[in-house]
Amino acid sequence: MQTTFAIEVDRVSKTYLSKRDQVEALNPVSFRVQSGEFVSLVGSSGCGKSTVLSLIAGLIPATSGEIRLWGERVTRPPRGIGYMLQQDCLLDWRTVKKNILLGLEFQGLKNRKTIAHARFLLRELGLAHTSEQYPSQLSGGMRQRVALVRTLALQPDILLLDEPFSALDYQNKLHLEELLINVLKKRRMTALLVTHDLEEALACSDRILIMGGQPGDIRRSLEVPEELRKAKPLHARGLPSFRPLFNEIWKEIEKP
Amino acid sequence: MKFLINRWLTRNAQSEIHADHLRRLRITDIWVGLTRTGILLLFLLGWEWSANAGWIDPFLFSSPSRIWELFLQMSATGELYRDIGITVLETVLGFILGTAGGTMIATLIWASPFLSRVLDPYLVVLNSMPKVALGPLFIVTTGAGFGSILAMGVAITIIITTLVIHSSFQSVDPDYLKLARSLGASRRQLFCSIIFPSCIPDLIAALKVNVGLAWVGVIVGEFLVSKNGLGYLIIYGFQVFNLTLVLLSLVIVALCATAMYQIVSWFERRLLHHRHL
Repeated sequence: MQTTFAIEVDRVSKTYLSKRDQVEALNPVSFRVQSGEFVSLVGSSGCGKSTVLSLIAGLIPATSGEIRLWGERVTRPPRGIGYMLQQDCLLDWRTVKKNILLGLEFQGLKNRKTIAHARFLLRELGLAHTSEQYPSQLSGGMRQRVALVRTLALQPDILLLDEPFSALDYQNKLHLEELLINVLKKRRMTALLVTHDLEEALACSDRILIMGGQPGDIRRSLEVPEELRKAKPLHARGLPSFRPLFNEIWKEIEKP
Repeated sequence: MKFLINRWLTRNAQSEIHADHLRRLRITDIWVGLTRTGILLLFLLGWEWSANAGWIDPFLFSSPSRIWELFLQMSATGELYRDIGITVLETVLGFILGTAGGTMIATLIWASPFLSRVLDPYLVVLNSMPKVALGPLFIVTTGAGFGSILAMGVAITIIITTLVIHSSFQSVDPDYLKLARSLGASRRQLFCSIIFPSCIPDLIAALKVNVGLAWVGVIVGEFLVSKNGLGYLIIYGFQVFNLTLVLLSLVIVALCATAMYQIVSWFERRLLHHRHL
């Protein structure tokens, strides 16, 4: 029996070409993410973490190798994935309500049912009262939640998260982590999170891929123990098994 | 009385200190207004007085009362309004065509990176060229009249608009483009929903610059060819040494250009009131 993985990255490498030179960003890497799994990519800056996400999102072509989502090869931005960035990228000239419908508009899926669903998500994330407001009237945490609603409105089954919380203050970050995990678990979504925050990676994910080097590759895959996985992100940070693991990952990243 | 003034100065105050603050702000506002008007009055009175006292030659520098008299005289016959109408029409048309044309060319160039590279040196040359020097060409191609004046107004605005808007299109934050593409936007949707709207502030800045430029183009155009219009009045007044007519035309040009600028500012406030600038 052959199982289909949500994400399969198969000997994928990336070299950025410019007029002057070429920069190897990624040595051939391979990994697989199961359906419903939450995987974090950590590593020093410049090791190609974000490149991996852009490749999976189909925003840039791979130099070699193949990426498959649910067994299907990615050649251009696929449907069914949601992509979140550090910047919320809300459009200043649209109200919150119109911002969250942006993806539906682009894909021609705007109808009564999808609009109602987007409204429902807005309520679920506690933003119902903001629907007629403009992004400039919202706080940083609220803006990132609106961005999350915009992503979820397309009902993706895979979420690609490129340091979505790193511009937020600590408190907001913890709130959003918990919110995100609840949303993911409830919908059985698959998620791949790129972060430089090891605590965040440990507290949120089921598995951590440690990347390193320049051009980067994957050094190690580390299963997060059951105990940490079950705890809420805030509580996980306080459990006794948290620190030793944190130090272990830290050492791995620091290795030249 | 004093009580009433104080109440007016502190209207809408929410507390004692707020009232103090408001009073100070409003008194400054009043002083600014008074000083402004004072300078204008002083200038006009000084001008009038020195002309009458013979300190400056009224034949060369005229005086406010002479300009006003000429204004009344020319208004009575209606010829002044025709001249104003023609020039304003030329300027507004030149301004609109130049800005719209420039934006359209910028869009075309954006749509085709190849075209953008091909046209780049031509745009640079056209931009550095003094457009006024093209005057003779316009006159031989479109005739000495409305057409060549309009062409001058358009020529002087269209290239700079193209350059400004195109560079604004290219400076849109790449993260926004990344996001839109991941949401499934086509290139056309990307342009209409993200790139164009995010460049509206730059478009408005271009509009403001173009108000001034369109006036330059049209007045110069009228210097060269026209038989009517404000530019014609200026050059005619100069030739017959009627400096009162020249100054009257200048005042009217200043007023019309300011009015156009205010209309653009009004648009700006309407279009941009949700953005933090």
